[in-house]
Amino acid sequence: MTSLVEIDGSQGEGGGQILRSSLGLSLVTGRPFRIARIRAGRKKPGLLRQHLTAVEAALAVSGGAAEGASLGSLSLGFHPGRVVPGAYSFAVGTAGSATLVLQTVLPALLLASGETTLTLEGGTHNPWAPPFDFLEQAFVPLLRRMGAEVSVVLERPGFYPGGGGRFVARVVGGRPLSRLTLLERGEVLSRRAVATLAHLPRHVAERELATVRAALGWDAAETEIVDARASRGPGNVVTLTLSAEYVTEVFTAFGEKGISSEAVADGAVAEARRWLAHGAPVGEHLADQLLVPMAIGAGGEFRTGPVSRHTTTNVEVLRAFLDVSVAIEADASRVATVRVG
Amino acid sequence: MKRTTVGLGLLGPSLDRGLDARRWEAWRPTVSLFQHEDLLIQRFELLHDLKHKRLAETVAGDIAAVSPETQVNRHLVELSDPWDFEEVYGVLHDFARGYPFEPDREDYLVHITTGTHVAQICLFLLTEARHVPGRLVQTSPPKGRSGPGAFQIIDLDLERYGRLASRFAKERRDDVSYLKDGIATRNAAFNRLVERLERVAVASRAPVLLLGPTGAGKSRLARRLWELKKAKRQVQGPFVDVNCATLRGDGAMSALFGHERGAYTGAAEKRPGLLRAADGGVLFLDEIGELAPDEQAMLLRALEEKRFRPLGGDREVSSDFQLVAGTNKDLSTEVRAGRFRDDLLARINLWTFRLPPLRERPEDIAPNLDFELEEHTRRTGTRVRLSREAREKFLAFATSPGTLWLGNFRDLNAAVTRMATLAPGGVIGTDDVAEEVARLELDWHAGEAGAKGEELPDVLAGRELDPFDAVQLREVIRVCRGSRSLSEAGRRLFPVSRAGKENPNDADRLRKYLARFDLTFAEVRPTFRA
Repeated sequence: MTSLVEIDGSQGEGGGQILRSSLGLSLVTGRPFRIARIRAGRKKPGLLRQHLTAVEAALAVSGGAAEGASLGSLSLGFHPGRVVPGAYSFAVGTAGSATLVLQTVLPALLLASGETTLTLEGGTHNPWAPPFDFLEQAFVPLLRRMGAEVSVVLERPGFYPGGGGRFVARVVGGRPLSRLTLLERGEVLSRRAVATLAHLPRHVAERELATVRAALGWDAAETEIVDARASRGPGNVVTLTLSAEYVTEVFTAFGEKGISSEAVADGAVAEARRWLAHGAPVGEHLADQLLVPMAIGAGGEFRTGPVSRHTTTNVEVLRAFLDVSVAIEADASRVATVRVG
Repeated sequence: MKRTTVGLGLLGPSLDRGLDARRWEAWRPTVSLFQHEDLLIQRFELLHDLKHKRLAETVAGDIAAVSPETQVNRHLVELSDPWDFEEVYGVLHDFARGYPFEPDREDYLVHITTGTHVAQICLFLLTEARHVPGRLVQTSPPKGRSGPGAFQIIDLDLERYGRLASRFAKERRDDVSYLKDGIATRNAAFNRLVERLERVAVASRAPVLLLGPTGAGKSRLARRLWELKKAKRQVQGPFVDVNCATLRGDGAMSALFGHERGAYTGAAEKRPGLLRAADGGVLFLDEIGELAPDEQAMLLRALEEKRFRPLGGDREVSSDFQLVAGTNKDLSTEVRAGRFRDDLLARINLWTFRLPPLRERPEDIAPNLDFELEEHTRRTGTRVRLSREAREKFLAFATSPGTLWLGNFRDLNAAVTRMATLAPGGVIGTDDVAEEVARLELDWHAGEAGAKGEELPDVLAGRELDPFDAVQLREVIRVCRGSRSLSEAGRRLFPVSRAGKENPNDADRLRKYLARFDLTFAEVRPTFRA
C-alpha cells in the first residue's frame, strides 16, 4: 500500500480538486503520490496560492515532505508522514476558501485517534467552494450520522474579496465510521431562506427574499435577513436550506457587483428547484463531498441528480489510492445511484 | 533554499484610498498585488508619509487579510512635495541605498502603479540604474465588474523597456508643452528652443537670456518658466516683471534696489525694490540693454553675491532670485559701443535663447490664432470664431512672406481682439478680416515714416547724410532687418519693378545700393548668436 501513486492532474475537470483529493487520500493511506500536468488546460496552469496552502496544511498535520511545491509548478511529489491530531491554524490568501483546506485534511483527521482543533481563516462564503452553511447544515450532520465526532463554528464570515473570515472545526478522530444509506429524501419538513448582508444596503436582502418568496411560494416567516457586520469587507449571500426527513440540503448564491439582487436570488432558486424536481436526496455538491468519507469508512449508497464531472473525477482519484469499488448507475431521468464499497 | 519574493511600493493616497467597507468595491492597486492566485509576495515594503498613516495601516491590514503569507513592513518617508522630481528621487534613492538588498536570496518587484507620475519615473530610473536590483511590476484594474485585475512584471533588461521609456519620454514632453502654454506650435526651431529652455529651467537657477524682437513672447515665456518651476516647487517666490526701458534716473535705482527713508528728496517712505520682491522667485528684466551703467553694476553684484545695498542704506540686504533677462538689442554691439558692461553680459549670457519673430514662424500662426481666440473667449465669456472663408483669408495674409508682423504676437493679439470685439454675432467674417488687414498694413507703414524712423539706425551712427538719402536708407535697412536674406529683402523692396522683368535681380540691385554707402547686408543685419 505504500507504492507511489501517479496522478494525471489534467484528467476530468482538471482543476485543483484532483490535487486536494489526492492530498487527502495520501494522508489517509500513507501512500506517496506524484501529480503531473497540474491544471494543465487552465488559463493559469500549475499550482496557485490556494493549492500551496493545501499542500502546506497537509504537510503541517503529517510532517511529510513535498517536491515542486512552488507557484506555477506543473508537478508535485508528496510524501506524507504520520497524521498527528492537535491544534492547527491555516490561513488562505486571496479570500480563497478556507473550507477547501478543511476538506483536504479532514478525512485523515477523522481516522487518526485524538482530538484536533483547526482554526481556518480566509473566505468562508465563496462562490467557488462549499460555503460554511453548507458544511454546517448539510455535510457535517451526515458525518455525524456516520458516527464521526465533528463540529464547526463560524466566528466571522469572510466574503470575496475582503476575506478575513474565520471558523473553527473540532474533530475527535478514531471513531468508527458506519455505512451511509441515503436513497430517499422523505418529506420536506422545513425550509428557510436567509439573505446575509455585510456593509450593504438592506434593500438588497429585501429584494432577494421577495424574489425567493415569489418564486418558491414561501412565507415571510420562512425568510430572514442576517446582518454580518463583523465581516471585514462587503458581502451578500442568499442561502436556501431545505430540511427533509432524511437529509438537509443547502443552496447558495452570491451577490456580485453589477448583478441585480433578483438575479442573485434566481440562481439559488434554480438550484433548489432542480433538487426538488429530481426527487433524489443528495444534491450535486453534497455528492462530491460524501464520496471520500464513505470510501474510507464502511461505504454506502446514495441517490443523486445528474452526476457532475467533478464527481466522476473524484471517483478516478479515489480508485487510484484505495482498493474500493465505486459504481454509478443512472436511470432514464438521469437520477443516479452511487454505491461505494 | 527557496527564494523569497519581496515587493516594494509607495502607498497611493488616491488609488489605494478608502477606510470603510466600501473600499473593497473599488480596485486598489497596492492591495490588488496580493489578490492574485498566481503571484505570491512574501514580504512587502510599503512606503508612505505620516499624513497617510491611517490609510497605510488599513492597506497593510487588508494585505494581511487577503495574503496571510505576506509580511508587511511600513516605512515612513517624508515627501513635502510628491511632484518635486529632485526631492522624490532623493528620498527614494536614500531608501534604496539604506535597504539591505540580498539579490542572491531574494527577488525584488518594484510596484510602479501608485504614487505620482514623478514617483513612478523615479522608481523607474532607480530600477533602471540598478539602485534597486529588481524588476518592475505594474498593476491594472479588472476589465469586468470585479476581481483583482492584472499584473505585469517588466524586466528592464528585456524588450518591454522601449515602450516604457517612451511613456516617460511623453511625461517629459508634457512639461515642455507647459512652457508653450499648451499651444501646439509646429515650428521646429521654436519647439527645439522651448525644449532646451525647459531642460535649463528645471535643471538650473542660472540667469537666462531671451533675445527677440518686441512681442515675440519673451515676457510670456518668462512667466511660464516661472510657473513651471513653481509647479515643480523649485521656486516659492513670486514672478516679478519689469521693463527696464520704463525706468529712468534715481527712480530706476530705487525701483530696482529699493531705498531707505529719506535716501533722496521725495523718498518719504522706505521701498523694498523689485529685486527684493523677487526673493525666492523669478525676476524678468525686459529690455535689459536699456539699463544705465550704475544699475548694471548693482545688478551684477546682486547676481554674484545675492546681496546689494539699497539707496541710502548703510546695510546690505539679500535676495535670491533667478534672473530672466530679455532684450531686443545685440548686446555684444552694445558692449563694443561701451553701453553695456561686458562682465554683466558674460554673467547673463550663459543660457541664451533667441526667439524668432512671428514672421519666421508662419506654421505657428494658425495654432496661435486659435489660442488667441480661446483666450478672448475665456476673458470675455463670449465665444467668438472665424468663418471658414475668413479664417482662410486671414491665414493667407498672416503667413504670406510680405506680411511684416512688426509687433509680432502683440500685433496678432491686438488683431484678434479687434476682430473679435467688432464681429457681429460672434462670427468674424471676411469683411472683418479685410478691414483688419488694412489696419495692420497701415500701422506698419505708418511706423516706417513716423516716430520709429526719426533716429538713424546704429550702422549709420555718426554719418553725415542728406535727408533724401537718410529717409530712403532708413527704410532699406528696416526691410533688410526684417528679412532672412539679401534676396528676400530685394523681393520686398522692388515688388513693382520686379513684376515687369523677365530676369529680376533684386538682390544684386540691393547690394549695389548698400555699397554706395559702404554697407553690406551682413553689417546691416547682424545675426544674433543663439
